[in-house]
Amino acid sequence: MTTLSNHVPDPRLITAFAEQRDGPLHRVNPWTKVGVVGALVLAVTVLDRLALLAGLYGAVLVVYGLARLPYRRLAGWYTLPALFIVSVAGPLAFLEPGTPVGGALSTPLGDLSVTWAGLVLFAELSCRSLAVVTFVLTASMTTKYADVAYVLGRLLPRPVDQIALLTYRFTFVMLEILEDLVKAALSRGGNLSEFWSNKRLYARILGMTMLSAIEQSERLVTSMEARGYDGDITLYGDVSRPPVHELLVVIGSYVATVGYAAVAVYGVGS
Amino acid sequence: MAHIHLGEGSFPLWALVLWTLLGVGLIGAVVYRVRKGGIETHQIALAGVGAAASFAIFQLNIPVWGGIHMNLTGLVGILAGPLLGVLIALVVNVFSAALGHGAVGLLGANTLVNASEAIVAYYAFRTLMRTDWDVFPAGAGAATLGLSAGAFLMGAIIVVSGVNGSALPRGDLTIAVAGLVGLNLGVAVIEGILTGFVVRFLASVRPDLVGLAGRDTREEPTGVTA
Repeated sequence: MTTLSNHVPDPRLITAFAEQRDGPLHRVNPWTKVGVVGALVLAVTVLDRLALLAGLYGAVLVVYGLARLPYRRLAGWYTLPALFIVSVAGPLAFLEPGTPVGGALSTPLGDLSVTWAGLVLFAELSCRSLAVVTFVLTASMTTKYADVAYVLGRLLPRPVDQIALLTYRFTFVMLEILEDLVKAALSRGGNLSEFWSNKRLYARILGMTMLSAIEQSERLVTSMEARGYDGDITLYGDVSRPPVHELLVVIGSYVATVGYAAVAVYGVGS
Repeated sequence: MAHIHLGEGSFPLWALVLWTLLGVGLIGAVVYRVRKGGIETHQIALAGVGAAASFAIFQLNIPVWGGIHMNLTGLVGILAGPLLGVLIALVVNVFSAALGHGAVGLLGANTLVNASEAIVAYYAFRTLMRTDWDVFPAGAGAATLGLSAGAFLMGAIIVVSGVNGSALPRGDLTIAVAGLVGLNLGVAVIEGILTGFVVRFLASVRPDLVGLAGRDTREEPTGVTA
């Protein structure tokens, strides 16, 4: 995708990795991946030591590599999560009370310095965020389109599931339309490198994208109703229950996280 | 589209549970209203394909302040209405989280923020149009208002929750978050202006989409077409 952003993961590339590669994680049951994401979210929320969080992040990076996925792409896709971390953890690194790292910078509002506690907090927030982002991307890049659609259809209530399934199906179409509109504007001498002087061009591209979406939806309604749509988009395929050994890994992840939190964080039994 | 600009695990467990429950409550109420009122096929199709467009538009890099991305949540609210707008916000957040943009654990909080943007933008647009505003200022104003509401809600959610592992008093955290809210308000103005132009463009080709059938909304020729 040359004309659109390259630091936002392209759903087409993600799907291509899922459909065309065959690593160890491609063979893991999708429900197991959903379960591990939940356990990971819980773990990064309750773990309170930098060493543990760094270890967890390292382990997820190893899993990403084992799935035979490209680290270089991952580094580019870290841009937005990193921006999230810096935008709040950056100021916190300065404001957090504690011992200053090096000297302090005098400002009209008082001395300004990064503290050790602020640095540790920054590192903790980075590990928490990147561990889950990496695993979510790993799961997305190793789960086939039909399996993702099936899991969405099972997890979300109606009509949200129907909307999500249509969104998943049409995301690829809308990306093509948006990319074509951008290319068409560029090929006719349009300049997209400066926003303010080209705001109308941007508005027309985005407006045309929305208009295409609406007209696609109107055509879709006709074909859905002609085929007897009754509020249920049929899901072809099936995702079976996870095998016992995968189920044990998921249960073990939750037990370990809850157990650690109960004993080490909340002091149960002490 | 404002987001809780914090990564996964940034909120303590109680806050994660609280915002998730509130998000589930909002979605539950909307789903109940939608099911009770009966949802038409064209509404499902519009919401699904509209969410896909919103998600695709996020891929476009807008060259302001080094590059910003937007989902046009205000526009989605204006076009799809408050109920479908909330469902679209949820779906876009689910897909964004699957690509590492926005945390899985903060889906509830992010849905609350984006739902507020869509709802406020919708009602603000209808109110302004009823008072005979032109399409551009009404669209721009409504979207800016909706996105600003989302930015303030985002800041409030972070301040109420606190940051996991931080010993910073709430007062100092408020100062840190105020900068972030300010930045989001700036983006809200840019996205609002862009939304105003998009609404005017849509009104010129399909006035029925913005409830303007019969009203003269022809756009002035600019010499540039997409």
